[in-house]
Amino acid sequence: MPVSLPQIDESDTDVPDQDWEAVAATLARYVRTRTSRHDLVEDVVQETLARLVQQNRQQKLVSVYAFGFRIAANLLVDHHRRDRRYSNETEIDHASDAPLPDRVIAGRQELAALTAALDAMPPLRRNVFTRRRLQGQSCAGIARDLALNLKAVEKHITRGLADLHRAVMLANDAGNDGR
Amino acid sequence: MTRETQIAEDAALWVNRLDQPAIDTSASRAFDTWMAADVAHRDKFTDLQALWHSDALTEALRQAAATPGVSDAPMGLIGATRHTRSRRPVVWVAATACAVLAALFVLLPSLSSITYRAGIGNGRSVVLADGSHVALSGNTELRVRVLPWRRTATLVRGEAFFDVAHERWRSFHVHSGETTVAVLGTAFNVDRQNATRTAVEVYRGAVALDAGQSDHLVLRKGDRARVVNDRITTQAPDPTAGAIVAARPDWTAGWFEATDVPLSVLIAKVQRHSARTILLRDAALGALPVSGRFRVSDPARVFDAIRDAYALDIRYDRGAVLIAPSRDRQGT
Repeated sequence: MPVSLPQIDESDTDVPDQDWEAVAATLARYVRTRTSRHDLVEDVVQETLARLVQQNRQQKLVSVYAFGFRIAANLLVDHHRRDRRYSNETEIDHASDAPLPDRVIAGRQELAALTAALDAMPPLRRNVFTRRRLQGQSCAGIARDLALNLKAVEKHITRGLADLHRAVMLANDAGNDGR
Repeated sequence: MTRETQIAEDAALWVNRLDQPAIDTSASRAFDTWMAADVAHRDKFTDLQALWHSDALTEALRQAAATPGVSDAPMGLIGATRHTRSRRPVVWVAATACAVLAALFVLLPSLSSITYRAGIGNGRSVVLADGSHVALSGNTELRVRVLPWRRTATLVRGEAFFDVAHERWRSFHVHSGETTVAVLGTAFNVDRQNATRTAVEVYRGAVALDAGQSDHLVLRKGDRARVVNDRITTQAPDPTAGAIVAARPDWTAGWFEATDVPLSVLIAKVQRHSARTILLRDAALGALPVSGRFRVSDPARVFDAIRDAYALDIRYDRGAVLIAPSRDRQGT
């Protein structure tokens, strides 16, 4: 018995157009914050967008933003790796996971603010946050290890991150006022 | 809570949620909706994301971890010895007991093996207890055992793509029939095409392939090999891949690339996505070599493609699809 087969519509016409302007502006803000090499910003953003648009055409991306941040972060790492390779001859070898060279100075003030804020953090929150960010443990893993529930673990991380960011912003404001 | 703090907390929640190798699809769609809603959302998320990724944060956390508070620090050895000698054994016993208890707490649930199944046409991706990611194709069954000293996965049937968390001291083995793939920290695909036939392709890093014989073969990024019974055959790298090796196998997007593969193997793949049973009416047909790029996640399209290319007669019966050599061909 012949069966009529459904035609698959791949045109996706019902989905509104992606606001690429907003995506570009967001990615630029991210890249600008992460590197002090201004010449890199444009390149990284353009390449990220090109890849996003191409991917999205091939197969509708579930999350343009999540994918975009990932591509941009990877590209930044690639650029800095390349920089390090070229500069190796003139500089003392960096440990493989040393901070990116161009961020060292810019980050000094930030580092002091972060260290102070981490000091002020309740020990449990600091412990949860360190496991998640430094050891890359999953929330479920942390919940199991510390006998907490998952919601509590998430709360510690989100509160912790928001607090750290506030500390960095305050430090930046203070630094700018002083100059 | 002010609107601003609310946005900051939401943004931080997304930073945390998105920081994992695989994000489930419903969550990431919600993320885009949240981002598209307001420029304040986008800015706050971006700043928090940049902070989360920053080297300054890594450095600050490292310093904090290196100079811990009094409660969880082993005291400096020289200065502290005299004062704490009398109390030390008690501390050590307590610490050891805690460590053992914590270890039991962590390890016990994972000692037994876990079976993951994906139904026909429904691939799924899973995260194992060690953080490794596995994408299962349709009609696939995978049994996984993560022990403190070793990790083993058994592909009972079907096809799976592994992205294995690198752990120097804990091996990861995948068994498919008599074939064993030993992982050296990497991403690779194992396709159990039938009971005695397994295909392996490496996308990152390297694996050692053991077909039950004494020797084994190391496959590196881009390498592909097939084990039929206990014989290993290496294959040329995928010609369509070009200079850049893809990050994931084709099938995770529903495709199968075949070069002189028996029809039965292609059919087995399509079967992973077809609710109807696919039957070859002529047993010899199973050996017919087929080549091409097939969208196996769409069985009807595959049938259309092979009908013309290989002169086959394809019939849709109530619960089955019947494939036979076409009558035209038999007549001539």
